Amino acid sequence: MRARAAAVAALLSVLALAGCGGSDAPPFGPDPAEPARPVGVQDPAVLPTTSAAPAGSCDPRASYRPTGALPAPGRMPSGSTMARIQRAGRLVVGVDQNNYRFGYRDPKTGNLVGFEIDLARELAAAIFGSPDKVLFRAITTADREKAIQEGRVDIVIRSMTMNCDRWERVNFSTEYFSAGQAIMVARDSPIKGIGDLADKKVCAATGSTSIRNIAAKAPDALPVSADDALDCLVLLQQLQVDAVSTDDAILAGFAEQDKGTKILPDRFTEEPYGMAMKKESVDLVRFVNGVLEQLRADGTWTSLYRTWLSSLGPTPQPPTPRYRG
Amino acid sequence: MTTLVREPATRAPAAAPAARLRRRAAGRFRGTPGRLVLATVALVVLGLATGVAGVVGVRQRADLVDGAVARSGELAVAAQRLYRALSDADATAASAFLTGGVEPATLRERYQTDIAQAAAALAVVSGGGAGDGRGANAVARIAAQLPVYTGLVETARVYNRQGVPVGGAYLREASGVMRERLLPAAQELYTAVSEELDEARGDAGAFPWFAVALGVLTIAALVVVQRFLTRRTNRVFNIGLVAATVAAVAVVLWLGVSALVAAGRLEASHDRGSEEVARLADARIAALQARADESLTLVARGNGQAFEEDYDKMMDRLAGNERDGGLLVPGDADGPTREALTAALTEARNWDSAHQQVRKLDNDGQYAQAVTASVGAEQTSTATIANRLDERLAAAIDHNSENFRQEARGAAGALSGADIGIGLLAALLVLGAAAGIQRRLAEYR
Repeated sequence: MRARAAAVAALLSVLALAGCGGSDAPPFGPDPAEPARPVGVQDPAVLPTTSAAPAGSCDPRASYRPTGALPAPGRMPSGSTMARIQRAGRLVVGVDQNNYRFGYRDPKTGNLVGFEIDLARELAAAIFGSPDKVLFRAITTADREKAIQEGRVDIVIRSMTMNCDRWERVNFSTEYFSAGQAIMVARDSPIKGIGDLADKKVCAATGSTSIRNIAAKAPDALPVSADDALDCLVLLQQLQVDAVSTDDAILAGFAEQDKGTKILPDRFTEEPYGMAMKKESVDLVRFVNGVLEQLRADGTWTSLYRTWLSSLGPTPQPPTPRYRG
Repeated sequence: MTTLVREPATRAPAAAPAARLRRRAAGRFRGTPGRLVLATVALVVLGLATGVAGVVGVRQRADLVDGAVARSGELAVAAQRLYRALSDADATAASAFLTGGVEPATLRERYQTDIAQAAAALAVVSGGGAGDGRGANAVARIAAQLPVYTGLVETARVYNRQGVPVGGAYLREASGVMRERLLPAAQELYTAVSEELDEARGDAGAFPWFAVALGVLTIAALVVVQRFLTRRTNRVFNIGLVAATVAAVAVVLWLGVSALVAAGRLEASHDRGSEEVARLADARIAALQARADESLTLVARGNGQAFEEDYDKMMDRLAGNERDGGLLVPGDADGPTREALTAALTEARNWDSAHQQVRKLDNDGQYAQAVTASVGAEQTSTATIANRLDERLAAAIDHNSENFRQEARGAAGALSGADIGIGLLAALLVLGAAAGIQRRLAEYR
């Protein structure tokens, strides 16, 4: 016992001597002053390895045409995906709870609110006749496709860009919002556009189209990825990145939260947002598109836009739906 | 030296060349008187050596008990307090965030108390030179990251008050700093201090073999000299030498018994004190972590699953996979501790079922109700149950810390006075031996 203790002590004192070297620095271990970072940040970012389907290989905006009139709420055709949802008693929607104005938790009430949240409620109203029969499940950007495929959610409404690559694994509704990728920097930043990003750290969410676009359009930039685009705002505020690049709609929400930032005028991609569903449930896609037709026609889309997104500028026309074949 | 006095003088001197040499070298010590002078020198040297070894050994061990053991014990308590305060801050900040834009004053106060306690405990630990450099890096990391953590929490709080979501992102970052940096560093520190305590305890409880061996040797020498004198002078007792022998036996007994008693008390300070404290502290920390997980699952922000899995892991650790023991198994703890552990296990079970209710509410989309069931002030809320559990464990930790202090004091008590006593006895031994032989020697002049 004593011999063991003595041996340990001797060993440790040798280690301590080896480590000290007469400086004030603590002997060994991680650097105490390492700056704090949001959990899950990858710097440099690990870019998605899946080869994206080429952009021109399909029309990413084209979805399945609605069939006939919508069934009455609470009377979903038997055997359909909607009937299964009706039996379950609630629509499970994967949403963002960090995207200011689109889907976020109002700290005062603790409730999820926003443009996308209200769209989800409209879908619930169409299925059940009640906008409250909806269960919101907060999911991360990278988790969106998996949550659909594993059946954890019936539908994802979470600033998800429709593209040919994703069409291979999920179905999209028609476009409900037109975004485009832009760049946000600190108000006094020397970065004026996408051309100034060389050797600058640019942050986007892990698994987003934004992170791919940065790598493609600004190959000399240093991409950094975070679990959530909102973590990029934190990194920008903490001077750990030079710019954030994601959809202008998301950036507008960031700019509202931090007046010390600005969004650069460049809009270098088109990001049509669609609601994502399982590849198998085409009937649900047609149903959702029918609901969207109605929302566009009766002015609900416009009034929701006014409620939540007026800070983005004058209310545009709803995106024109495009259908396959 | 013993062979010198043991050798019978009646044997033919010329037969032993060694004896011849000795006679030549020290002509003065020829015959019985010469041998008696030699015996005196030998006994005085042995007696002094025994006394010095005994006194120094006792002093060293007493210093270890008073210093290293007591100090490491207090440091271990402080390191544990540091860990607890940090985890509680994490859990409380998350709960406060959940309750909406403006957090309740009680949660705010609790968070501030936690941070103050953590800083105070860190000062104690670093002031005590924790871990002799082993803990230095951990201390530096905590000292550097604690202000970063509190800064992030305050930023989260301000944004939360403005009702914007980036506050949640700051809170998650703060919690990340806590879980990935502060808590591991605090754990490292606790381990370093505990190891130091174990080492100090091992050294302090070591048996004084060297001094005892010298003492036994002295007794043997005294016996030989007395037998020699008895044969030479036909007197059975020599008062001085008898007194010296008694003193030598007393020295050996005192050394041995005090060392054994001290070792026993030190062992008890481990078994009934610091070992239980370590286990209870583990339990308390697992409970706090589970509490923070529960809140962060609700703060969630998309990553709730990871926190919920961590909750399960922590609950398994705390109360066992079947919720029937885990770290709360009574084991061989003493009465009050067993009682506290049994009560804590009941609370842990209540908590877990209340937690399942919270999860069900949240999964069913009843977020506001889930938050109330989690952080509300009701007797059935998981916050209240977790607090009761924490109080039980805190009381048990206090009880066992007191056990540790008592046993460490007992060990110190076993050694206290031994140095002076052994010193005096050794002096008596030397004087007795010298005086006793001197009287016989005088008869030859």
